[in-house]
Amino acid sequence: MFGITDPAIWVGYLLALVFTLACLVYGLLNWNNGVEGEQDGS
Amino acid sequence: MAVDTGLFVAMTLVYLVLIIGLGYLGYRRTKENDDYMVAGRKIHPVVLALSYGATFISTSAIVGFGGVAAQLGMGMIWLTVLNIGLGIFIAFVFFGKRTRRIGHRLRAVTFPDLMGKCYGSPFMQYAAGIVIVLGMPLYTAAILIGGAQFITSTLQIPYTTALLGFAAIVALYVVLGGLIAVMYTDALQGGIMLVGMTILLVLTYVQLGGIVEAHTALAGMSALVPEALAAGGMTGWASMPAFGSSIWLTLVTTLVLGVGIGVLAQPQLVVRFMTVRDSRALNRAVLVGGPFILMMTGVAFTVGALTNVYFYRDQGVIALAAATGGNVDTIIPNFINASMPDLFIVIFMLALLAAAMSTLSSLFHTMGTSLGFDVIRRTGTERATMRPIRLATVAMIAVSIVLAFIMPGSIIARATAMFMGLCASAFLPAYAHAMYSSRPSLKAAKMSLVTGTVAWFAWTAFVHVKESAALGLSNLLFGVPAVLSAPWQDVDPLVIALPLSTAALLVGWVLDRHEVTADTEESAGAA
Repeated sequence: MFGITDPAIWVGYLLALVFTLACLVYGLLNWNNGVEGEQDGS
Repeated sequence: MAVDTGLFVAMTLVYLVLIIGLGYLGYRRTKENDDYMVAGRKIHPVVLALSYGATFISTSAIVGFGGVAAQLGMGMIWLTVLNIGLGIFIAFVFFGKRTRRIGHRLRAVTFPDLMGKCYGSPFMQYAAGIVIVLGMPLYTAAILIGGAQFITSTLQIPYTTALLGFAAIVALYVVLGGLIAVMYTDALQGGIMLVGMTILLVLTYVQLGGIVEAHTALAGMSALVPEALAAGGMTGWASMPAFGSSIWLTLVTTLVLGVGIGVLAQPQLVVRFMTVRDSRALNRAVLVGGPFILMMTGVAFTVGALTNVYFYRDQGVIALAAATGGNVDTIIPNFINASMPDLFIVIFMLALLAAAMSTLSSLFHTMGTSLGFDVIRRTGTERATMRPIRLATVAMIAVSIVLAFIMPGSIIARATAMFMGLCASAFLPAYAHAMYSSRPSLKAAKMSLVTGTVAWFAWTAFVHVKESAALGLSNLLFGVPAVLSAPWQDVDPLVIALPLSTAALLVGWVLDRHEVTADTEESAGAA
């Protein structure tokens, strides 16, 4: 993938991108949640 | 020197004016203890995210770990995976919200204070403060060395002047402006770092002919791995080392796990969760923090590995051979100075200065508050004021500067990994227990903190040969650099100390519950 042949390396790159995407999605979905007085859900 | 001096001086002056302006703003807004210690608990989410990220990422991550990636290859990307997955997502969502809520309720102002109040125990506050006061100067000195090395190599000014000037500027705004000044300046520095690392990534791929071309060239260099590294298990710069080899153990246990897990219990990061008004700010900070970290460590590790392609193409040597005096910490600065346009060298230097200053300011602040508030106050009056905390901060800064002159030059990445490993081993199980148990057990926390600290120190001093040989304690007592042979002497202390610390917590918890049950039965029997 993109010139990297060892799966142990490109899977690392893929996971780094997936986690970044998870941060973006989580932030957007919870943009207005968690105002003081509400339940945080964690 | 490759830098246009006039341009550099002008940009640095603008940068310093902004930093001092923000420091002054922090000073003006610091009216009481809560302002100095936890930034008044009303920091904006974007400032939080950039401050957290800029504190997390120092010159150590860019220059030190980038240099390690130049030496060991792209396997370092697994540290980025943990940095984002654990260091941002798990840290903010599963630890941050509870830390903020509990910290607000208990009015905690430092990490040791939070631990002390969660467990209702001065011992926990004092012991956590002591671990920070003793362990953090090592990491702080490494950050100082990284910043001073880069200033020296770029500006050709004496190392001592660079180190002292660098420390003095940061000390000024930390001592006077407290955490508000630290976080405001962090945010500006985080922005500069983002610009610098983005340009670095783009220019590196442009230099090397494109993404696929650069990676393909790197993968094709595996035959050039030096014999000593090949014997240690290294297979190339675009592939992982051989499973279980000594280089694999160092990469996975020390660099990836040690730093990746260690970040969860970093006192200077945990305190930031208590600086925001509500959990909404933490949710919003996650959105900024994830991409920020990807652009920091992801870029540093990728570019670090790719410097091999550049140096081989232009100088006929691998990156390690292009390092000054064999010091891997010089690879990234040498690459920037040799390959980038003047304007970018200046921008990147500012980004590196920003990275060093943002981490350094937070460490100065955490060490100062730990000594002045958590350690000294426990032996003095109950109520602390800002004056002794400021004095304690100055004292800890002085200790760090002295250490920076004593420690070896090629220590940046290792000192970072050591401090993160110590934090995880000593604090993580007790911190998680405090956050997730409605009635946390003090006995369990004490056993975990003591076991984690002692186990980490014992493994560092007597088994993990890279440190034990340098410390010399093992040689003094047993006549050998490490008391166990390979592969144990390549296993990072964290891999041993964290499970032991966790086990100690579980044993303590079970014992505590058993005692409570026995007491209850005894009371019922007596009644």
